[in-house]
Amino acid sequence: MNNAATGEPLLAARDLVKTHGRTSALRGASLDLRAGEILAVTGASGSGKSTLLHCLAGIVRPDRGSVTYDGQRLDRLPEKRLSELRRTDFGVVFQFGQLIPELTALDNVALPLMLAGTPRSRAHERAGEWLERFGVRGQEELRPGEMSGGQAQRTALARALVTDPKVVFADEPTGALDSLAGEQVMTALAHTARESGTAVLLITHDARTAAYADREASLHDGTVVAEDAALEVTR
Amino acid sequence: MIAMSTRHILLGLLASGPSHGYDLKRRHDARFPQARPLAYGQVYTTLQRLVRDGLAEVEGTDSDGGPERTVYRTTDEGARELSRWAGETAPPAPFVTNEIFAKVVVSILGGGDPAAYLRAQRAAHMERMRELTAVKTAKGADLATVLSADYALNHLDADLRWMDTTAARLTTLTAEVDAA
Amino acid sequence: MTADLRLAWHLVRGSDRHEWWRIALTGVGALLASALALGAVVLGALRGHHPIPVADGLLDNPGERAGVVAALLLLLIPVLGFVGQSARLGAVHRDRRLAGLRLAGATPWQVRRIAAAETGLACLAGSAVATLACVVLMVRVGDHPSVWAWAGIAVVAVGVPVAGTLTGVLALRRVVASPLGTVRRARPRTRPGLMFFGAVALFLGALFVSYLSLDRRPGTVPTGPMLVVSGLALAGAAALWLVGATSRLTGRLLAARTGNPAVLIAAERLRDDPWAAARTHAAVLLVTVVGTGFVGVRQTLLEVLHSGKQVAEDLSFYTTGLDLTAAAIGVGLAITLAGLAVGTAESLATRRRTLAAQAAAGVPHAVLGRALLLETALPLAPGVLLAGLGGAAIGTGYASLTEGGGWSMPWAALLVPVAVYAASLLAAATALPLLRRSVRPAELRYA
Repeated sequence: MNNAATGEPLLAARDLVKTHGRTSALRGASLDLRAGEILAVTGASGSGKSTLLHCLAGIVRPDRGSVTYDGQRLDRLPEKRLSELRRTDFGVVFQFGQLIPELTALDNVALPLMLAGTPRSRAHERAGEWLERFGVRGQEELRPGEMSGGQAQRTALARALVTDPKVVFADEPTGALDSLAGEQVMTALAHTARESGTAVLLITHDARTAAYADREASLHDGTVVAEDAALEVTR
Repeated sequence: MIAMSTRHILLGLLASGPSHGYDLKRRHDARFPQARPLAYGQVYTTLQRLVRDGLAEVEGTDSDGGPERTVYRTTDEGARELSRWAGETAPPAPFVTNEIFAKVVVSILGGGDPAAYLRAQRAAHMERMRELTAVKTAKGADLATVLSADYALNHLDADLRWMDTTAARLTTLTAEVDAA
Repeated sequence: MTADLRLAWHLVRGSDRHEWWRIALTGVGALLASALALGAVVLGALRGHHPIPVADGLLDNPGERAGVVAALLLLLIPVLGFVGQSARLGAVHRDRRLAGLRLAGATPWQVRRIAAAETGLACLAGSAVATLACVVLMVRVGDHPSVWAWAGIAVVAVGVPVAGTLTGVLALRRVVASPLGTVRRARPRTRPGLMFFGAVALFLGALFVSYLSLDRRPGTVPTGPMLVVSGLALAGAAALWLVGATSRLTGRLLAARTGNPAVLIAAERLRDDPWAAARTHAAVLLVTVVGTGFVGVRQTLLEVLHSGKQVAEDLSFYTTGLDLTAAAIGVGLAITLAGLAVGTAESLATRRRTLAAQAAAGVPHAVLGRALLLETALPLAPGVLLAGLGGAAIGTGYASLTEGGGWSMPWAALLVPVAVYAASLLAAATALPLLRRSVRPAELRYA
């Protein structure tokens, strides 16, 4: 929030280069994410969107370039510290697969809190509140395989947000959903992020999903080709 | 085209009971939030045409403390016409006036930069989509607002997809237009 | 047929490393099975007193030879467990691929032939190596084997690949029946069905009949071996049931109570699919019973031998027998542990995308690793304890029944279950390096 006032980005990538084998996914991509904003990253398949997200979230290290979060160089942090940061300051939502299939919705959402040492009963209480907030009430004891795609994604959102993260990374969160379920997931994400001042980096190839963001950055062949600064964040 | 549907929409609004022109305009704008707002003049001329064609008639006047207003109600003929129109399928866009495509072709003919135009148009479309999304996700937005915003969003999205595939095939299009 | 073979070859070539592991391990399993069966056949074909220049004369006489043959055949049990576990490596991917073939219009028999070609050829390679080694060894020793021995060798050399092929075809029954079901189903249920118990019963029966036919004292029924085989079959079935039941029970109890994330993940996985590791875990329990019992018996026997009573042969004759038995149990344990390691690796490989997503969300590797080890440690603990007690009962029973009495109680035998438990955890831990490799971000987006 303070960062937004000073205009200092919360998360900044500079000239990222990353190659997978012989194909280069990123060739000098730069991007700023300000506190509390929702930023959509769009581009064709293979334009490097996911790799950019992985670098920004500290999941992979770029070959060259820097990623700065809250004054720390993520590309230089040791893996243990990165893992801790992803647990406490970041939340992630993928297209699917981020929930543990054997755990109930409630345990899946409570897991990040339990990892931080919260007692299970307290973690369950918080998880229940989040599930209710995302309209997954009465489904707490279901396992991901027993839920609809939309319910599972909203459970995944609850899991990503339960630790009150500063940034949520969402990689095609509606990619596997029909349009109504997708709308519900995006509305839930946008509302919660705006209320709690959480920044969101949203990867999507769908313009209607991208329209939930405050800004859009387009990726083409591993570089950011256009940034549309649009609405003021105050809405 | 617009006058035609305004006729039927006013008939539809009258179907729930007699009403005067100002009230009809107010209800129209509330019910169809993303549509172009009706002008008073248009409401009154349309009402007069409905009366002329026997689809509506004057019920009386109502002053209600303010200026005197003519109250209209629908006729049996009007009710029949309304149900006929409501059940009729809308023609699936027989002649799309594609201004964007026209601009791209003209831009190629005039030696301009169609790619830059498409990028700018894309940004404008996205901007409008973000506005509409903000309207429909605002706290307290009713379903009518959400649905009419969705209608507009889906049309803009279709334009965007078309622009993306066109931008990717500009070289071939330029060769084709220049050769013709 | 050649077209099917070529298609099978192309499919395997285009698949990832897990498939190669499965084929290689299947081949190794076939090699082990062939070697054991060949040994049993060659020894079983000998008639009467027949001096053999190895093992201190232990193989010279029919009575002892029969015991060795029985031991070799029993060792086939852990080998089959190992092959069963190896066959599951990457099987999810193979099943999806074959189901895809079915959807693309292949007939059920084409799919069966392709799968059978893969398994059968791997088994053929294994049995060919074993047979070649066996023949070379026999020629080197300079012995002249009977026609029966040659016939037996031929039967084993052909029988192992044929059995492997049949198993491959059987394992595909679900894919063939419903290609869509296999494509959509996330994880197969692994509860052992009638098919499995039927196969076990058939195997034990065949084992016993072949053993009886080898015994050439007409009219006598060898009660000793029959007791051992049926006792082991009973213990095996009990172990299998015990593992499944304790997995489910510990899973349910712990999942409801624990506050530890690693325990929670492991417990819910056990509760969800208690039979997943039952085959290898049951083999571990069998080895524990046999091992604990043997250590007890051995101690008593050695004391008897050194006391100088009731000794008809050279002392080394008996100690060699004991050492050979110990070696056989050791080999059984090693094969079982290998199966356990393969099974753990398989369980990691099939859910690598979920694991990668957990790591990306900041779940520490240590928690995922602990959960993996607990999946082995939790259900095995009560089973190994019981198996150890059972084995110790055999040992002490033998000691108290042995003539003369007053033999010391075999306390050392109690170390066996502890050692087996530790070794099982170590075997499961060999999969941990694979965990690190599994959690790559590349796994995040594609199924």
